[in-house]
Amino acid sequence: MARTAVDVHDITKRYGETVALDDVTLSVGRGSVYGLVGPNGAGKTTLLGILSGLRAQSSGTFDVDATRIGVLPDTPRFDSWLTAREVVDLSRVLVAPDVAEMSVDAVLKQTGLLSVAHRKVGGFSRGMLQRLGLAAAVVGEPEVLLLDEPAAALDPAGRREVLDMVSALRGASTVVFSSHILDDVQQVCDTVGILKQGQLVYEGTLDQLVRNAGHEAAYAIRIRGEGAQLVDLLKSYGWVSRVSIESEVITVAAASGAVLERELVRALGRADVPIVSVGPVERSLEDVFLEVTQ
Amino acid sequence: MNLWRLEYLRLVRTYRVWILLGIFGFFAIVGPATAKYLPEIVERLGGGVEVAVPPASPELAMAQYLGNALQIGILAIAFVAASSLAFDANVEMSTFLRTRTSVAKILEPRYVVNILVAVASFLIGSALAFVLSALLIDTPRIGGTVIGSLLVALYLCFAIAVTGLFASLVRSVPGTALLTIGALIALSIVGLIPAVRPWLPTDLVGAYDALIAGGDFVYWRAVASAVVLSAGAITFSVYRMDRREV
Repeated sequence: MARTAVDVHDITKRYGETVALDDVTLSVGRGSVYGLVGPNGAGKTTLLGILSGLRAQSSGTFDVDATRIGVLPDTPRFDSWLTAREVVDLSRVLVAPDVAEMSVDAVLKQTGLLSVAHRKVGGFSRGMLQRLGLAAAVVGEPEVLLLDEPAAALDPAGRREVLDMVSALRGASTVVFSSHILDDVQQVCDTVGILKQGQLVYEGTLDQLVRNAGHEAAYAIRIRGEGAQLVDLLKSYGWVSRVSIESEVITVAAASGAVLERELVRALGRADVPIVSVGPVERSLEDVFLEVTQ
Repeated sequence: MNLWRLEYLRLVRTYRVWILLGIFGFFAIVGPATAKYLPEIVERLGGGVEVAVPPASPELAMAQYLGNALQIGILAIAFVAASSLAFDANVEMSTFLRTRTSVAKILEPRYVVNILVAVASFLIGSALAFVLSALLIDTPRIGGTVIGSLLVALYLCFAIAVTGLFASLVRSVPGTALLTIGALIALSIVGLIPAVRPWLPTDLVGAYDALIAGGDFVYWRAVASAVVLSAGAITFSVYRMDRREV
């Protein structure tokens, strides 16, 4: 059995003149949870649509090594006159008729819908439909699960439950899930792929992303009193890429972290400014995401 | 739960089956009744004006049923079939089905169930009109009624196949239904050309009145074209929908 469950090679998707996906290559390890992140219009839904067979790529190849694939669109909808139980059972019969019927109630319970199992879905809220979509996606015990913004419409408690469900699938299923909510990605994903205007601009672990993305390193210098002289001094050095001051904190950035660490102390020694503290600026996932995608 | 039960539930829970049965049932009662009582009705409403109405006959009763029922019935059948066959009209619902099974398997029960319900509704109406005509006026020709009804049933199959064809070309339920109606009307207009008429499926509708009136069976060409065109439309719709992106 291959170590990867999803392999995408040089996929391009064009809609007329518009390039929705541009030469995207990625691979998803079997049993892992892969987060596909990017701003709106980056190509996440298009890529998931291609992987689920709903859209055809303009060029490139892909392989989803699974016989059972579960798909959850970003805004799931069902025939309003069906009950929640009928929706999930239909999904079970279509995807995996060999799976026992009792698993329908099990996934309804898991998604918090067992109490409304016999209610028609026409009256369901968007959050309930999202849970129902997830229940319908997982009931067939899929080997690969493609989730498009699975927690987008949920309240915090619902989001927590869905993310826990996705985490629990790790190992048993391979999950590819798209999101623009970085906190969700951080909580459940082993690997992330960042899409920007149809191009995959980063693929790797979150730790690597925060550590290595971009080349800029930054330090925050807390001073006492007027900092204009120090700002001017720092700006005069060629290794400094950016200097800013806010209140009594000066942020100085350099293209190389090693150079910054070596040169910053010498530079501060030449300045006639009282220094309270000096420390590296920790970048959040959001900072890195914005840096990579802007 | 399976795709066949899904179609059954669609018809029952959305009252579509009752709408079709209601339309054909209503005109099955109204047709023979108006044929029988039309002279009295006209006399009472005429206010002394003399209006010539044909005498009550079983042929007139059955013709009244077909003429009235098929006009509204075809419209209802096109909308009911379109709401089922144009499943790509709603992307999310389409995604649910398409990511779980093939287009051919999705369409199979939709074609079969819609054809069965349309044909059954018409045949029940035809049987009811036959019985009422026999009770109120006289017994229509049974052979002509049976064969004429089967030919109209074949025409309804053709109409549903045309609906499926348009469902594969557009993504809207009303659009699919209206294009179907438009195409059937266009075929009727083409049927005004005498040389073409025997080859058109629309000729099957005229067979009903003609056979009940004792006419000869001269509809093999219309039967053949209806079968071939229906099969072609269904095959094309499966092919086209299978290749359509959602």
